[in-house]
Amino acid sequence: MSAVSRGDARQARLGACLAFPSSLVVFCIIMVPIVLMFRYSFNFHDPVHIMREGFTFENYVKFFSDSYYRGVFFDTLKVAATCTLLALLFGFPVAYFLAKTQSRHKSLLIILLVFPLMVGNVVRAAGWMVVLGNAGAVNALLVWLGVIAQPIKLLYTPLAVVIGTTAVVLPFMILTLQSVLEGIDFAVEEAAQNLGANMFTTFWRVVLPIAAPGVAAGTMLVFILCMNAYATPVLLGGSGITMMAPSLYGQIAKASNWTFGSSMALILVIATMLIALSANWLIHRRYVRTMAS
Amino acid sequence: MANVSLIHLKKQFGQSVAVSDFSLEIADGELVSFLGPSGCGKTTTLRMIAGFIDPTAGRILIGGTDVTALPVHQRNTGMVFQRYALFPHMTVAQNVSFGLEMRKVSAHERDRRIELALDMVRMTEYKDRYPRQLSGGQQQRVAIARALAIEPKVFLLDEPLSNLDAKLRLEVREEIRALQQRLGLTTIFVTHDQEEALAISDRMAIMHDGKVQQVGRPDVLYEQPENFFVAEFLGKMNFFAGTCVGPGQFKTTDGLLLNVDAVTQSTKRVGVRPERVELVAVATSGNNIPVTVQSSAYLGSFVDVVLAGPNQQRLSCQVPNTATVSPADAFTTGRGLVMNFKASDCVVFNEEGDA
Repeated sequence: MSAVSRGDARQARLGACLAFPSSLVVFCIIMVPIVLMFRYSFNFHDPVHIMREGFTFENYVKFFSDSYYRGVFFDTLKVAATCTLLALLFGFPVAYFLAKTQSRHKSLLIILLVFPLMVGNVVRAAGWMVVLGNAGAVNALLVWLGVIAQPIKLLYTPLAVVIGTTAVVLPFMILTLQSVLEGIDFAVEEAAQNLGANMFTTFWRVVLPIAAPGVAAGTMLVFILCMNAYATPVLLGGSGITMMAPSLYGQIAKASNWTFGSSMALILVIATMLIALSANWLIHRRYVRTMAS
Repeated sequence: MANVSLIHLKKQFGQSVAVSDFSLEIADGELVSFLGPSGCGKTTTLRMIAGFIDPTAGRILIGGTDVTALPVHQRNTGMVFQRYALFPHMTVAQNVSFGLEMRKVSAHERDRRIELALDMVRMTEYKDRYPRQLSGGQQQRVAIARALAIEPKVFLLDEPLSNLDAKLRLEVREEIRALQQRLGLTTIFVTHDQEEALAISDRMAIMHDGKVQQVGRPDVLYEQPENFFVAEFLGKMNFFAGTCVGPGQFKTTDGLLLNVDAVTQSTKRVGVRPERVELVAVATSGNNIPVTVQSSAYLGSFVDVVLAGPNQQRLSCQVPNTATVSPADAFTTGRGLVMNFKASDCVVFNEEGDA
């Protein structure tokens, strides 16, 4: 007994030693910039010297009092929420199929799923530009079918951003859900049907609650990715919609307003964290608590 | 409860026939087990009755009603799965409640029936636990309670004991049988364990390669196997090939003359159970076959002796443990003995392996 616990303690110490270097690197490259940005966001903006040391809330006041920036913030929330929901709706059936399939092509299907991740966001956004543009495939098809007379504006709209972003995050959602669905013994579905549940009830009362940890993880991951999306909103949204990441980049890189840009970055980080964590907490409270061991 | 009729049931997966032409009448309150090696079609048949698999041909009647086209959730069968299949996110009581909620049973009546079902399997005190907090045997008892709470027309068990350890298997098996008899449940029990099937069944259906080999009472199947497969699958049997040479006379290919009561002109093989033969030092009345001891295994209540016959064929004999002589001394390897058995204990098979 004591030999075992001594062994455990040694294992734990070894683990801590091995984890230390990476933890240090992560701390330096993630925490230091955030702490710096946090400090900058309370400095005064100075057109000549970029910023002046001090302590003021003026950057935050400006953000929340200006309807333009409030709009950017809520547009970002709306796009991220829509894309997350769409990714969940489209992703769940695929993940469910992958988890249940006995096909010997399963690993090939998973590789196909990972394949888009090997192509950068910018390249994929460029692809969507070709598809959605005025002379693009969708418009050409609709005109040819006679549904519309003139090409309609698809590119540089919120719709284009939603489509493009959903496509980017979908594989993340599917892979996260699949890893959790894989662990479900699907005999529970048969048991539910045998007890009188139809397919809908079986899904709603049995499959979904058991899959809740995967839904929580996938939703959180995808929502964070959507909130922070940069390339896709810039290329597909154009002037039609502005999201937080491109907007704060503009403040820092183009307007040289580091203090305001920093405050925007912090607002984005904190809002994303609050929403993701509370969604996660809600799902866990509703479903997962009962299954935790 | 209800009677079940399987009428020319057939299932084909692509080119392979899983179940071919299965017809069986199961009486109200009867326990019938499907026994056979894996891949024989027993589970496929059970799943067709539950509705998880659509038969290629044939019909299934439960209580006289044709359910062949009904989806699973409208068939009102209570199934117990091999791996329990309890809902991990629900307590024991919620698991049992699920089927009752599906039937829109009132909350008050639901509580009463949950209580009743859990009491039946002695799990009342665990009603607020989650499945992961229970042992395998307890989980399977909850699964039984869940299946019975809905008061199904047929009780279906798919190898329910195969995930339990030996002692528990016996316990739960006895519990299932007691419940089944007390409640008069029409039950179909799928297993690959012959001892289990023999112990629990009113009737057994032995299956092989998708075909039913024989259906009947356990003792009838054991004593009067209709074919070679049943004789060999259920218990052990010593076989002698040869031909009939006169009334009650059978000559083996080794030239030994045996007295066999049941022998006919078409008999090509004679069988005798290992526990129906005696090992003696000197030939006496009845059939005598000279044998040499190959090995012996001490199994507590009896000693399993492996012997070599005249043509070096493998024979076996079960000697009851009477504690008069040590098996190690009595059955030393290489010792010459005589295998003795009665003419009336022999079973005969024809060319096709049928009795």
